[in-house]
Amino acid sequence: MSVNNLLENWAQFRHFHPVDDKPHDPYKWAMSIDLDACSGCNACSVACYAENNIPVVGKEKYAHGQAMHWIRIEHYWDEDIGVPGGREFPEQGAQFLPMMCQQCEAAPCETVCPVGATNHTADGLNSQIYNRCIGSRYCSANCPYKVRYFNWYDYPTTDNVWPETMTRQLNPDVTVRSKGVMEKCTFCVQRLNAAMSTARSEGRKVHDGEVQTACQQACPTNAISFGNLVDPESRVAKQWARQQVELTKDKQTKDAEPGGSRLRGYRILEELRPYPSVMYLERVRESAV
Amino acid sequence: MMENGFNRRDFLKVLGWGGTAVALSGCGNTSVEDGRETVNSYVEAADYVIPGIGVYFNSTCAQCDAGCSIMGKVREGRVLKLEGNPDSAINRGKTCGLGQAGVQHHYNPDRVREPLQRKGEIGVTITWEKAYELIAEKLKDVSGEEIAFLSGGVSGHLKVLLDNYLASFGCRNHFVYEALAPAVVRAANKKSYGVEMPRYNINKAKVVLSFGADFLGAWVSPVHFSQQYAQFRKGVDGERGVLIQIEPKMTLTGANADRWIPVRPGTEGVLALGIINALGTAGGDIAALVKDYDKVRVSKETGVPPGHIDKIAALLKLRSPSLVLAGSAAEGYAHGSQNAAAINLLNHVLGNVGKTVEAAAEVPFPQMAPARGNTAALKALNDGLAAGKYKVLFNYAANPIFTAPGGMKFKDNWAKADFKVVFAHYMDETALQADLVLPLDSALEDWGTHVPEYMADGAQINIQQPLMERLHANTRGMGDILLALIKQRRPEDYKSYEDYYGYLRAAMLQNKAALGGGGMDDDTFWSETLSKGIVKLAGAATTAVHSKAGATDLTLPAATQDAQYPLQLIPAVNVSLRDGRHANLPWLQESPDPLTTIVWDSWVEIHPKKALEMDITEGDIIEVTSRTGSVKAQAYLFPGIHPDAISIPLGQGHEALGRYAKGYGVNPFQILDAVFDKETGELAMHETRVKISKTGQRVIVVKDESAAGAKQIRKKIAGRMSTDNVDLSKEV
Repeated sequence: MSVNNLLENWAQFRHFHPVDDKPHDPYKWAMSIDLDACSGCNACSVACYAENNIPVVGKEKYAHGQAMHWIRIEHYWDEDIGVPGGREFPEQGAQFLPMMCQQCEAAPCETVCPVGATNHTADGLNSQIYNRCIGSRYCSANCPYKVRYFNWYDYPTTDNVWPETMTRQLNPDVTVRSKGVMEKCTFCVQRLNAAMSTARSEGRKVHDGEVQTACQQACPTNAISFGNLVDPESRVAKQWARQQVELTKDKQTKDAEPGGSRLRGYRILEELRPYPSVMYLERVRESAV
Repeated sequence: MMENGFNRRDFLKVLGWGGTAVALSGCGNTSVEDGRETVNSYVEAADYVIPGIGVYFNSTCAQCDAGCSIMGKVREGRVLKLEGNPDSAINRGKTCGLGQAGVQHHYNPDRVREPLQRKGEIGVTITWEKAYELIAEKLKDVSGEEIAFLSGGVSGHLKVLLDNYLASFGCRNHFVYEALAPAVVRAANKKSYGVEMPRYNINKAKVVLSFGADFLGAWVSPVHFSQQYAQFRKGVDGERGVLIQIEPKMTLTGANADRWIPVRPGTEGVLALGIINALGTAGGDIAALVKDYDKVRVSKETGVPPGHIDKIAALLKLRSPSLVLAGSAAEGYAHGSQNAAAINLLNHVLGNVGKTVEAAAEVPFPQMAPARGNTAALKALNDGLAAGKYKVLFNYAANPIFTAPGGMKFKDNWAKADFKVVFAHYMDETALQADLVLPLDSALEDWGTHVPEYMADGAQINIQQPLMERLHANTRGMGDILLALIKQRRPEDYKSYEDYYGYLRAAMLQNKAALGGGGMDDDTFWSETLSKGIVKLAGAATTAVHSKAGATDLTLPAATQDAQYPLQLIPAVNVSLRDGRHANLPWLQESPDPLTTIVWDSWVEIHPKKALEMDITEGDIIEVTSRTGSVKAQAYLFPGIHPDAISIPLGQGHEALGRYAKGYGVNPFQILDAVFDKETGELAMHETRVKISKTGQRVIVVKDESAAGAKQIRKKIAGRMSTDNVDLSKEV
């Protein structure tokens, strides 16, 4: 495919969901994360390392910003704390926010990939094809959430990443990535595929709760829900509906209510129109103390 | 979780007893050991083993003493990942990061693989027969009084076996040592409630007032409490629970509080009495006790504004039941017992005892109940060693040379024993000082029964079983070693048990009826027990909690000033690294500290106001000096700490242990003064006072921190609403 050909026929390669001619059916994987329940303990992140063969890069590379944590806990403090003229103490604590690939419906990373290594699947995931990736890193530059991680080194052969016995812990269901390849959260696609395959062979759809992502399964406060948004009976679909967050909108109707909405659901950087598949529920703090 | 029905008799075969071990080790001619197990012959595999599909086996997490039940995913003879067991009342299918990293202990490249005997400065590989002979020889000419056994917390049949072994030569010197146990709180609870560890119903409380109890992070049973916390936030009767955390250094729990209140270190008890005074509901002895603790005085001593005390009292009156917790930040003083007693008194005054503080279920086998570790045991051992009382010393599941406070000079005293045996997973600081090192199986290779210290709903005994074959041929389970050793002393009594597995099985079958197996045949009961991983005990006896407040003669000293050492040192407990035993797990080293997001290092937390006074900026290398010693570490400006205190996390600063631990950070245990709680004799962890100075060096702090403020490009990232503005009643 020449570049000219690609440019001329762009529309047919550039295909983003949701579109009416190709609705999600029967699956659209989505998540919701309750920030009031999230305690910031990091269990999700360690579980992700365990499930997805994520390399531990060590102190030096971490300092260079080369950590590979597909899911990280972002920390936010009120801006006026501990600065001259501001408040002395963070009396309402910190704010924690688990951040991972938002599996955008119109993902900014997809449009810039020169080789089509990242694209949208029919069940609503933003997929990464490792053996097609040439390492241009355009996708990472274009991701507003900064959740794409690049293999600057060949970790399988780097000292002390997976020394002798440690290699035996590697999950055979997940590729070990090599140098020059971009990677990111997959919503534990290996678990999804296994569940969908089982369901298909039994002539049914995946039940709600049948498949859990590694982060969700570990989460000690059950802050993470995950499931099929197409199924109106799934917990995640009910949560989205109750919070009046619609996948296909870049401005939610409820936010236009005078005085603001009394519902907690929101999506991060929705205004940029990536149509993320992760809904967050705002943290709540008591007003009486 | 055995999803596929399978022949239960095959279970034993799988685990290497009663048949070949084909199912787990793959092909009969290769083994996991030589790494060539990828070509699998499944000719003799059990019918539920399908290549490429993981089978889950239940066991118990050994990463801390909480006793969470886990399921290990086993595929092609290897354990790959640990998940929580949904049937456990403790963790209900959940795990923490520490638990997830259990597989990295198992596969750790730095495990000890052979028995080692000291020859001068080096350890020489010997056989197990030789090692056992050596122990028998050393024990021959010493009396039971000259032998000491130091261990971490033990429970279940391992404790039974250990007690019997020590009794076999008349040794009564079993020192149960945990560097970070809530021992003062246990003693205070015993006085206040009549039980050492009651059941705390966070999920039934409308207000939780926690004095430094990091129940979401590292306190007692964090995964269990995290789930209760999630229910508490959803609310009882639609009313969202309110968390108030009072502590001088913000913990993970503090970071999740609706109101975090920094208190002058050590004055937690005074504040508790001040709140009782402000409530004004107490009568009799209690009213007399608190009458002098008026707002003005309490506010002056604790540094908490009078308005806050009023608000807390008003909220506690309005919303009942509540729950008051005394945690490690309150107990770590010479008057720690007094602090904890004053805090527990609040529960009595508020009428929480019997509602949110309840009696916990007990396992009806006292000999299996957990031997709870503390630091007073270390002091007793240290005093004995210093006096030259012990000739032979055993050490299991503890690393005292790393965790003993510098003020104790434990390492020097350790050397006074003639023969030191260390049962070890790693060559840690203590193993390096041993005369004989015996390599242990990992927790995922070993058998065991465990009784958790903190019981959730009902009493339970947790089963630990191997999730795969031994990775290294010459490691042994602690139970097997003890059995071999006790056979040296009482061969007749133990000859019928070939190994610890046999002993455990026989022991469990003996009590079959009491363990809920009445009417089952032995094999069915045993495989049922193994497949569930938990023995739940119905109708276990409970001790009722005291409904009346205990002694009310409290003396709470005011905070003291020390011109030479002006700052209080708070040794912080990191959620993952705990007392340092997990520092060689790379996932945990690279898991950012929940509050500072720093990785692979230690740091000194200092309030920005104090830092400004002393012209300290982030990354400055600070020398922290106590009366006992000094350490140097990078400064981190952190507003979640009292300006009169600094904090250094525990767990780093290893000189041994392994490649991921050695040389990272500093060890604050080394500079702790040997000060003890007056009532219990426990080490007062927070009593060390320090001074700090700049060294002139500076580094870039390696951390994962995001920008300040919950907005980026003027858009909302991390949202936060006030309870006035949110409608939680209709949520899913």
